[in-house]
Amino acid sequence: MPVTSSGERHWPDNVTRLPAHNAALAAWGDLRDGVSQSWMWSSLAIQDIKLRYRGSVLGPFWLTLSSIIMVAAMGVIYARLFNMQAASYLPYLALGIIIWQFVSSLFSDGCQSFLAAEGIIQQVPVPFSIHAYRVVFRNLIIFAHNAIIIPIGFVLFQLPVSWRIFEVIPGLVLVVINGVWVAILLGMISARFRDIPPIVGNILQVMFFVTPIIWPIDALGNLRWVAELNPAFAAIDVIRAPLLGVPTAPLSWPLIIGTTVVGSALTFAFFTRFRTRIVYWI
Amino acid sequence: MSFLHLHDVWVEFPIYQGGSRSLKKALLANTTQGNLMEDALHRVTVTALRDVNLNIDDGDRLAIIGHNGAGKSTMLKVLAGIYQPTRGWSETSGKVTALLTASLGLNAEATGRENIIMRGMFMGVHPREMESKIDEVAEFTELGAYLDMPVRTYSSGMMVRLSFAASTAIPPEILLMDEWLAAGDASFLSKAQKRLEKFIGHSSILVLASHSMPLLEEWCNRAILLDHGRIVGTGDVKQMVEAYNELVAKS
Repeated sequence: MPVTSSGERHWPDNVTRLPAHNAALAAWGDLRDGVSQSWMWSSLAIQDIKLRYRGSVLGPFWLTLSSIIMVAAMGVIYARLFNMQAASYLPYLALGIIIWQFVSSLFSDGCQSFLAAEGIIQQVPVPFSIHAYRVVFRNLIIFAHNAIIIPIGFVLFQLPVSWRIFEVIPGLVLVVINGVWVAILLGMISARFRDIPPIVGNILQVMFFVTPIIWPIDALGNLRWVAELNPAFAAIDVIRAPLLGVPTAPLSWPLIIGTTVVGSALTFAFFTRFRTRIVYWI
Repeated sequence: MSFLHLHDVWVEFPIYQGGSRSLKKALLANTTQGNLMEDALHRVTVTALRDVNLNIDDGDRLAIIGHNGAGKSTMLKVLAGIYQPTRGWSETSGKVTALLTASLGLNAEATGRENIIMRGMFMGVHPREMESKIDEVAEFTELGAYLDMPVRTYSSGMMVRLSFAASTAIPPEILLMDEWLAAGDASFLSKAQKRLEKFIGHSSILVLASHSMPLLEEWCNRAILLDHGRIVGTGDVKQMVEAYNELVAKS
């Protein structure tokens, strides 16, 4: 069973040379080998969640419950503040909150992808990408638990279901791809500079308030473009709007596609250059 | 054919969490073995291995001897592919299993059984395949009902048994072990040796770093002596143990 990344393998086929002749090829091999060992990161992610909730009655459904409580409490108050009908505001708010929790956890958890895996990285040479995939998959599972609210909401508020709902799939896929590069890039930078995780935490807190998550974008009036240019809003919009059956903001798709391309390219360059240094940083 | 070859290998790494000047000075003034130096950016750099050439081939049972900090663990990490040489290069053929610490990948909250599966995963063994080995592993560990308890309740000796048994469930081609093995008691060590002998037939290379000279003499057929990150001697185990004792006497 190959343990090292196949990009580092040269003729004869079973000989591994370190450092690899071609760092970019080795980095690509790392990402690819990580994907092919999906059973490893998926089992690790599932176990992370099992261990976190071991001995608790509701288990991961605590997440669902706490989201429901938060949405119910905020929904009543904020619908009044924004002068909106609870029936139309609650679905918007609920989706906003659970999608934001997903997106922000990709960032905050992404900072820890390599730091938290120190015990593994220092002991066995598995592809580095595995640690990032594990973080993303773990948060996807948590998101799935929260997402149970969505069908409940549809029934409760008798929301119309349109074909548009399938647009949520490309939206979710793009957010997940962004999650992967974020977990690799922030994971590396955080391993090297330990001030990064708290800085990211602060930025996330600010983003929660300046992004139309709990408040409607229309409330900005002619400052609307500020929110439309916000990639965090784009990430939420491409998942939320299809579910609500409303059109996405005009810039949301181009923005999220742009971040995916630019972020992935930047991360690949970093990963190629510094991948083998990670073990010395943590 | 398995082999591990090192060509002019250096391992140097900057210490980022070095802290204050005075700490650096203290380190520079005092120190143990790995040589600390400041690089151009005033980062403290440890040279853990310098100019190492080493060929380990089929059938070798290599002992790595040296002081604390002479570079034994770094050497094992380079052989395992965890540290990449900062200069020079390594070539490896064969599947390497490295047992560097007893706590290796152990999750303190998970049970012994879950940890066996996880240990397998890190070696590239699918959980399903590991499930089929679990009874045999459980028997070797003699942990009984403890296997269903979280690993945090284990003594260090129990952890050693668990790690060793799980890691060797699939016969390794190349086995690298650091000195933690010595944390096991005598009865464990003799059991472990029997287990290793069983697959010495197909396991082709063993590399063992330890302070326990009797253990090295019994298990190994070749030795290298490390000092300040350099190989200062190679030969049979007895010779190198003597050379090591001289080195200790001199310092």
